[in-house]
Amino acid sequence: MHLYRYLVGAALLALSVGSAACDESLTDITGPTPNLVPTFSSIQTEIFSNSDSSGRAACTQCHNAIGRLFNGLDLSPAVSYANLVGVASRGKVGAVRVIPGDPENSYLIHKLEGRPGIVGVRMPQIGPPYLTDGQILVIKRWIELGARND
Amino acid sequence: MKCSRLCLAVILLAVMWPGAVGAQQKPAPAAAPEDDPDRDPNRNQPDFTIVNLPTTLRVPRFKSAFRVTHRFGRPLGAGDFGDLASDFFGLDSGAQIGLEYRFGIIRGGQIGIHRTSNKTIEFFGQYSVLQEKNNGVIGLDAYFSIDGTNNFKDSYTPALGVVVSRELGGWGAIYAEPMWVNNSNPLPSELTDDNDTFILGLGARLRIRPTVYLVGEFIPRVGYEPGVNHGTFGIEKRAGGHVFQLNFSNGFGTTMGQLARGGTGSEDWYLGFNISRKFF
Repeated sequence: MHLYRYLVGAALLALSVGSAACDESLTDITGPTPNLVPTFSSIQTEIFSNSDSSGRAACTQCHNAIGRLFNGLDLSPAVSYANLVGVASRGKVGAVRVIPGDPENSYLIHKLEGRPGIVGVRMPQIGPPYLTDGQILVIKRWIELGARND
Repeated sequence: MKCSRLCLAVILLAVMWPGAVGAQQKPAPAAAPEDDPDRDPNRNQPDFTIVNLPTTLRVPRFKSAFRVTHRFGRPLGAGDFGDLASDFFGLDSGAQIGLEYRFGIIRGGQIGIHRTSNKTIEFFGQYSVLQEKNNGVIGLDAYFSIDGTNNFKDSYTPALGVVVSRELGGWGAIYAEPMWVNNSNPLPSELTDDNDTFILGLGARLRIRPTVYLVGEFIPRVGYEPGVNHGTFGIEKRAGGHVFQLNFSNGFGTTMGQLARGGTGSEDWYLGFNISRKFF
């Protein structure tokens, strides 16, 4: 009987240790961009510069060196960080495109989520499809972590 | 003729050895029923849970118990009293329903399964390390659970901790239950600061009538702590092997993972009930 109790205890311990590393996979929520992680280089590659398997258009399809004359924002790789972080929006007075550490008040998130109060339409302008909730969560996390140029 | 002789021989044998025949006819003495103190009613701890948190009541070996939980979805504070009455105090709305079965696998050890209607399944185990009736101070159980969403296919949340109880001499019992809940955050760790929650379950059961109790729980947390700390209180009636409980909670959680994620809001309270049945 004592051996039985020890076996049960050992099984419970093994179960607890074995299950302690439970975590969700990031790829489960990033959907059409499985390689997306909360770094600027990844967001640039997976979101701004390229379309994805859902059919969502790349941001740079409009927000490029030519389009900036109309849209006010160039998201080409060489200049996108400088145009986003700590930069005032041209469309909405008082809004800042990306506020490091504050995704909820960053206008980029407002535009991607299509929140009430934005000027113009939800991005991408030719959506749907829009960014998925998981993709937006990754961008929010990058901002939350300080919006570093990593 | 041959048969008659045989019958006569049998009758003679029966007459000559009545004791032997009598012994064969008498049923074998049944083994004395095992005197298992775990089967005795405990007026301090009449049930295996307070409202959601476990108690240190032991399931007798090879015996079992069943429990059903309901947490109705209508906030009691929404609208005026007329609205609330027209919704029959929340009973007209949908509910998160839980079904639970537990079984005593060894003396002092129990395992169980709890499924809630949002497709979360929790497996749990509990082992009685110390009994208050032996040491006179506290009861202490080791506790383990793991729940998974989507019928135990996604988002696994293990929990490990202890249940400490102190009985109040027939007036009920108080509880402290420190638990570590891993992966309480349903998001990937890359998107979160905290993926674990340490909870300290505090609970009490007070006996106000011979079979009527007031119950309450409060669960402060550190780590991943969305929403508000889970709180609940209620009143219950024991009737034989049944316990009927009416409760009010600020959330719908009944598994450890759900409790770690907290209640919906301090302003929102919901009606619920538990019914449990012991099969011994």
